[in-house]
Amino acid sequence: MIEVRNLTKRFAGRTVLDGVTFEVNKGEIVGFLGPNGAGKTTTLRILTTYLSATSGSATVAGCDVFNDSLKLRKKIGYLPENVPLYADMRVKEYLRFRAQLRGLRGRNARQAVGAAMDETGITDVRKKVIGTLSKGYRQRVGLADAIVHSPDLLILDEPTNGLDPNQIRHARDLIHHLGQEHTILVSTHILHEVEMTCDRVIIIDRGRIMAADTPRNLVQRLRTAGTVSLDIKSAPPEALAKLQTTRAVKRVTQEDSIHEWTRFTLRVESGADIREDLFHLALQENWTLRELTQHSASLEDVFADITEHSMSISESPSTA
Amino acid sequence: MRPFFILLRKELKAAFFSPLAYIVMAFLMVLNGVPFVLSLLRMQSGPSPHSLVYLTFTLGGWFWMSFLLLFPIITMRLFAEEQKLGTLESLLTAPVRTSHVVLAKYTSALIFYCALWVPSLLNFAVFQWISGESAAFNEGSFIGTYLMLFLLGAFNVAIGCMASSMTSNQIVAAVTAFSLILLHFFVGFFHLFTTHLPAEVLDRVTYTSSYEHMRMFADGLVDTRPIVYYLSAAAFILIITHQILEYRKWRV
Repeated sequence: MIEVRNLTKRFAGRTVLDGVTFEVNKGEIVGFLGPNGAGKTTTLRILTTYLSATSGSATVAGCDVFNDSLKLRKKIGYLPENVPLYADMRVKEYLRFRAQLRGLRGRNARQAVGAAMDETGITDVRKKVIGTLSKGYRQRVGLADAIVHSPDLLILDEPTNGLDPNQIRHARDLIHHLGQEHTILVSTHILHEVEMTCDRVIIIDRGRIMAADTPRNLVQRLRTAGTVSLDIKSAPPEALAKLQTTRAVKRVTQEDSIHEWTRFTLRVESGADIREDLFHLALQENWTLRELTQHSASLEDVFADITEHSMSISESPSTA
Repeated sequence: MRPFFILLRKELKAAFFSPLAYIVMAFLMVLNGVPFVLSLLRMQSGPSPHSLVYLTFTLGGWFWMSFLLLFPIITMRLFAEEQKLGTLESLLTAPVRTSHVVLAKYTSALIFYCALWVPSLLNFAVFQWISGESAAFNEGSFIGTYLMLFLLGAFNVAIGCMASSMTSNQIVAAVTAFSLILLHFFVGFFHLFTTHLPAEVLDRVTYTSSYEHMRMFADGLVDTRPIVYYLSAAAFILIITHQILEYRKWRV
């Protein structure tokens, strides 16, 4: 459905995209992740023909972004970042206008608008002026606009940006639902959402694709996989060293004692389950345990692991 | 061509379903009522070789004051607002050509501009009804004046479109449009202020004088040169507008 080869984009002497290559298959829901300024929006804008690449090629729904742009635009539904809408139009009137622009006429247009409003749950606000709608409704109007012509592919740029938790849940359900009929490429930085809805994840950082895999595989591949935490009663001073020398443990941190309980957090190598070892150690040393928990790595850990370098650069205070 | 008509309909709705349209129309009626009344008084005080229509649109430059200010107000919104709201992105990622977008916005602004002059016909109709005499003396004066109003509109609305496509700030668009329009208008008066320029240059410059064109056409003298001049200049400026919008793709 989408094939991107060596896409490069330079802006004012800065390389925003640097040889981006990835693909999206028909029927997939793909999450496009990356920190702010990584090149997500630029990539999506090139795919939707709003911008042109400096070099490289991209094909969307069988159409070249450069040579076949008009045909391509008929086949995709695009929800730009921050959901731009005409504030002075009414919901139905706006969707009608957008349906007609995509070549639908008369009764077809009317039916398509009705179906899109049903699907996104905005039928009850169809006569309202868009400017008076809440952010959640505006988002849904944007989604209805993207699906009104039943496109092969949906490209959504941060569709849950600025919504409250309930609205995010609604939007997620809606995207999940739309994914049954459409191929979807969705950019976001809410990782939880990606884990729940996406078949595959593409992580981009500083204009380069850093990873592309299923959320599960990504998590498994993560080097510093999980952490284990345990609470020990009246921990002796040598406990830290003893834990440190246990198999597969990379780093141990000791927290301040609360009453007589001391909490230790152990970073463990990927794939290793050392809870049994820890049980035997406690038995041997005669420690009293009240908690022994393994936290599995989340996509958040993967994201941080891959993109942390750039974040620490951008967030380090200037010394000047 | 179908996208063009869909866009045009949307733009016309946006133009006419807003209070701005009727405020502008009302103020224009008042502002142009003044030269109309002054022309009537002038005709009352003595015989005039010119028609009432001629006097109304040339007397003391009254007409030009409000006329030149009209264009920035009509056109500043066109592209600047879409760029500010980000709707330009959803518009240009729909299957429509940029040229259709430019033409639809331009045409709607031009239609709106033409509609603003319809009430002015009422002044002359009332005059004719009361006095039983033609306000224009002859048809030529009428046709010439309103043809020139259309040509000046076609040209200046194009300038406004271009100014609006260059920025996302409506005020900047309005100031740019007004400056360019004013500059073009005053270039036509160079021959009054300076004798230092060579005669050829002054001749060329006078050729673009909107003020002279209006005087000529309002007397019923319809010359094809200004017609070609304004229409081709408008087309050229619209092509530049199209290029400015496309430039966004290639900016490096």
